[in-house]
Amino acid sequence: MTEPAIAVASLEKSFPPTRSGWRAFVQPFEKPTVVALSGVTFDVKEGEALALLGANGAGKSTLLRILATLLLPTRGSARIAGHDAERDPRAVRRSLGYHAGTDHGFYARLTGRENLRFFGQLNHLSSAAANLRITQLAEQFQLADILDRQTRTLSTGTIQRLSLARALLHQPRVLLLDEPTRSLDAIAAMDFRRFLKSQILRPGDTSLLFASHTLPEVELLADRIAIIDKGRLLACDTLTALKHRTGASTLEEVFLRLAGRTPYFSDEDAPA
Amino acid sequence: MIRVLRDLWLFFWRDLTIARTYRISFVLEIVEALFGTAMFYYVGRFVDSPQLRQALPQGGTYFAFSLVGFVFLDYMNASLDTFDRSLEEARNAGTLEHLLVTQTSLPVIVAGSALYPFAATTLRIAVYLAWGAILFGFPLQSANWLTVAVVLLATLLAFSGLGILSASYLLLFKRGNPAKWFMLGLSSVAGGMLFPVSILPDWLQFLARFNPVTYSLDAMRAALLAGAGFSAIWRPLAILLLFAAVLLPTAMAVFAWALRRTKITGTLTHS
Repeated sequence: MTEPAIAVASLEKSFPPTRSGWRAFVQPFEKPTVVALSGVTFDVKEGEALALLGANGAGKSTLLRILATLLLPTRGSARIAGHDAERDPRAVRRSLGYHAGTDHGFYARLTGRENLRFFGQLNHLSSAAANLRITQLAEQFQLADILDRQTRTLSTGTIQRLSLARALLHQPRVLLLDEPTRSLDAIAAMDFRRFLKSQILRPGDTSLLFASHTLPEVELLADRIAIIDKGRLLACDTLTALKHRTGASTLEEVFLRLAGRTPYFSDEDAPA
Repeated sequence: MIRVLRDLWLFFWRDLTIARTYRISFVLEIVEALFGTAMFYYVGRFVDSPQLRQALPQGGTYFAFSLVGFVFLDYMNASLDTFDRSLEEARNAGTLEHLLVTQTSLPVIVAGSALYPFAATTLRIAVYLAWGAILFGFPLQSANWLTVAVVLLATLLAFSGLGILSASYLLLFKRGNPAKWFMLGLSSVAGGMLFPVSILPDWLQFLARFNPVTYSLDAMRAALLAGAGFSAIWRPLAILLLFAAVLLPTAMAVFAWALRRTKITGTLTHS
């Protein structure tokens, strides 16, 4: 049986409580008691796109950061392409591309090309291979015109595309995206989603796990949806199956019913 | 090995390329070095006397003695600063996470980020000494350059351990650089920067024995001002290498532990 692209089993993560003042000095050594993830289990198959849907603080970013080897799990396991994120982080990093929509993470005074070449070579691409991939990705992501400009002069939308290109430079099997359209305006976000769908997902050789609380984004991109609330995985299935299971007609309703929430304002509160 | 060297070169290239976008700053540093050298020259002229020359371990003028002390303290400063400054810059720019998800190992990232700052500091020292030699009679002609290079390397290795310890502290506690505070404080009094350690009270001389700066300056002055070879400086050189042998692996282990703690506490990118 083929190993799934991503396999998460009974994953738990707790953090030490946040401290201020002099107590901040003991915080790094405190026992982790604040639960962020609790018994999360799911798989992502080869070429599949799975969305993590949940409110702020639900544990989506924590989960992605564990998979990206930036956090250590408290218990359970997280595997990418058959490699354990805690025990074999270098092998995991060989197989993944990571892009967080919240920060840019580029050297502002280097050009787009210089940044991409630097990160590509740190991912052990030869100079020639890095240059070739940069040319390919620049064409694919419509970045050719801006590649030789310092990244401090680029717009947020362009930086997002550049960041996605960086994540794909070493042709990873798995792509992790954390709220990829968070800092984009509506038009740029729509472009970015279409681009992701046509350029990354359609070819079918990259598995995608992405966190979002933008429902149209989830509906457009995801083959299956994992709904997370307060660190617990409530459901993981296709949109059709989730609607069928909850008797809901929209993804919003699915989420509210599974999370046992009611909206703060109903349609009746809207002014006539 | 070739891959490690290539990765180290990548970091050096990155920092050099960024530095090249700040050309005026480079020119200003050369001018600043001129003023700094002139200041030491005139202080030297003001205090110079036959008695003072006799009191200096390697002989020569107080200008030469103090200039070497000052520029090599700059080296220590850079060593203590470099690691935590590059870490803080990476954290603030958001590049730290992206570096840590590459296939390059942590020791290479840490060492690579220090290469350019060390090279720039070495260049700055060379500029100070060049101004001293060209305009103020600093005796560069008597230097033993091979010994100078070896002492420089040993100094760099010994001080780097302290710098990495300092970066570990920054990873865990987010602010402050106690290693720099302690070492600069200790070295300004008990390191032999502007006056010989021999004039200090016994207890401070005892303390100076635990300061790598003392050995670095002893060896560097002997090599630069008196042209000493390895046979003359083997003792301070061996002690410097001993500092490096103990401090570097300890510091790397502490840094790896601190990074692991931040991956447990989730504070890697917090500032």
